[in-house]
Amino acid sequence: MNTPALQVIDLTRSYGEGVGAVRALDGVDLGFARGTFTAVMGPSGSGKTTLLSCAAGLEPPTSGRVVVDDQDVTDQDEEHRTRLRRERIGFVFQGFHLLPYLTAEQNVGLPLRLADRRPDATRVRELLTRVGLADRAGHLPHALSGGQQQRVAIARALVTEPAVVLADEPTGALDSATAREVLGLLRSSVDDLSQTLVMVTHDPVAAAYADTVVFLVDGRVAGRMDRPTADAVAGQLAHLADLAVGGAA
Amino acid sequence: MTGLAWRSLRHRATASAATFVTVLLGTALMGSFATLAATARGPVSAADRDTLTTMGTVVGAWGALIVLSAVVSTVGITVTQREVEIGLLRTIGATPRQTGRLVRAETLLVAALASAGGAALAWLGGGVLLALLRNTGAVRESVSYSPGLAPVGTAVAVVLVSLVGSGLASRRATRGPASITPHEVRATTALLPWWRIAAAVLLLGYSATMAVVTITVTAHDDDPYSAMATCGQLGIVVALGLACLSPWLLRLLSGPVRPLLGSGAAAYLATYNSRRRARMLSGVLAPVIVLTAAGISVFMIVGTDDRTRPAGFEDDARTINLLNNVVVGMMVVFAAVVVVNTFAAVVAHRRAELHQLWLLGATPHQVEASVLAEARGVAAIGVVLGALASLAAVVPFGVARHEGVVPDGQLWLPPLVMAAAVALTLFAARSALRRAHVPRGALR
Repeated sequence: MNTPALQVIDLTRSYGEGVGAVRALDGVDLGFARGTFTAVMGPSGSGKTTLLSCAAGLEPPTSGRVVVDDQDVTDQDEEHRTRLRRERIGFVFQGFHLLPYLTAEQNVGLPLRLADRRPDATRVRELLTRVGLADRAGHLPHALSGGQQQRVAIARALVTEPAVVLADEPTGALDSATAREVLGLLRSSVDDLSQTLVMVTHDPVAAAYADTVVFLVDGRVAGRMDRPTADAVAGQLAHLADLAVGGAA
Repeated sequence: MTGLAWRSLRHRATASAATFVTVLLGTALMGSFATLAATARGPVSAADRDTLTTMGTVVGAWGALIVLSAVVSTVGITVTQREVEIGLLRTIGATPRQTGRLVRAETLLVAALASAGGAALAWLGGGVLLALLRNTGAVRESVSYSPGLAPVGTAVAVVLVSLVGSGLASRRATRGPASITPHEVRATTALLPWWRIAAAVLLLGYSATMAVVTITVTAHDDDPYSAMATCGQLGIVVALGLACLSPWLLRLLSGPVRPLLGSGAAAYLATYNSRRRARMLSGVLAPVIVLTAAGISVFMIVGTDDRTRPAGFEDDARTINLLNNVVVGMMVVFAAVVVVNTFAAVVAHRRAELHQLWLLGATPHQVEASVLAEARGVAAIGVVLGALASLAAVVPFGVARHEGVVPDGQLWLPPLVMAAAVALTLFAARSALRRAHVPRGALR
């Protein structure tokens, strides 16, 4: 249990070639211990989303390694990376990404269906109860509010008991009250289920729900903060923004 | 508004191309027959006038019905696809009237360009049709081609119908509060607006009446072609009636075709998508029904006629069956193009959703397989309904010509037409997937 659930080693990702090349990630080393909640923060263009994409095997890194659950997945082919994504990684997206023609219950079971496994009805119900939507199991997404849709998406991310849940601005499309509910749910999945959670966000209030905040600037790790508070995170961010501007000048 | 409309068009090339091709070919098809009616008004003999008017108006009218319903449906699909954007425009302050105007301006641009091209094709097509009629002796050699303004008139009519179609769709899109919620991806329960039901009742009722008339009245007429005149087109008319009900039929029949979709995740997704978003795929189902029904019914009737024609009617037969073959050929080509087009528009529209499926861990193969499974379901439902619709023409004519309910020959023809329609639908799905380039590799 001592090895991290997710580890990236000297991770670099560049777009384009030659002088015009942009390094979205530039030698990032990070380990995410099991049962922890980490927020990844940084100004726009700092490489937060690229980090998630590479960690999830959505895009290959230019160099460096990605290790999920003790398994080096860097050089796997598309087929294996897809399997990795649906079995070892749970995703929560900013835009919810529920399939419009499946009910809440069916959306939760979808990752298992894609793996050609029949979802266990009791487990799906338990998860929906956990996110407070037991009575909405048969509803289609358009009959649910944004917050409810994101809660369904959280249940879906947990259904395979993944090694790590990656959340990309999960509260970006929600109002602040609904965002707090969703963040509370994410927090409780770490506390109650010992889930490992990595969340990209630009919101200091959201980051304050995490155990640790990692700051990225220009594709590099620019600091970390344990037991963050919203104010401390906001202060640090303002400082980093100055650094980024100073670096660019 | 026009500037915005132009940019918006270039932004969604696939959907615009679908409208463009449908309007282009539709105008060409309708206009070709309209030129015959126009030619009839020139200096021609009474008999030739009759022949030309019949072809131009009667045949043209059924063709027009197919073309116009295809135009309304295609324009409707492209407008419905833009609900998110329309919602977005409204949240930043565009009134329903303004967004309606944008949609109409866009439709007008595409339809005007396409129908202008279609009018040119119609002018050529009408000449070819007339030449065919002259060569087979249906009309005298002396009849000269005078299309007049018929191609232009047809083009204007098609543009107007396109505008009505986009008006209907944009009213649907701008109803309710402004919101950026993607209505278009909503699974919908409101499948059949009243006008679809009314049109279906009208078309099916007409067919039932004419089938009875054929068996009880025109079957006993001295002219062996009276029966064909009353029942020849019924296969196509019933198909159009069923096409009006296609969203409802798709949802109803997606259960029974479930075994055809295969097993696994792809079949699971295809089943629920066909059932809960039947309106989207029904745009593909409708032309498959019409295509199958037109092919089977007309070819079967021509076959029955060849076997049972009384002596002394060979000249009539040549003209009439040439006409039949030309008409069915044009309609089948048109319906086939609509199938390919609509599928392309539907899949292009679902790119984002298919990308999400991939993000969630579906393999590229699963993503494609789910779309192909939907195509299989639509094809199966379409050819069965189309074959049933064709009975409305085949059975009354068979009875009238004393072959009974089952024709005496060509029983291989329906399976052949059905197989071709299935192949076409699957091809349409494959080419749509190839063209759509479902994106991979990025989180957003």
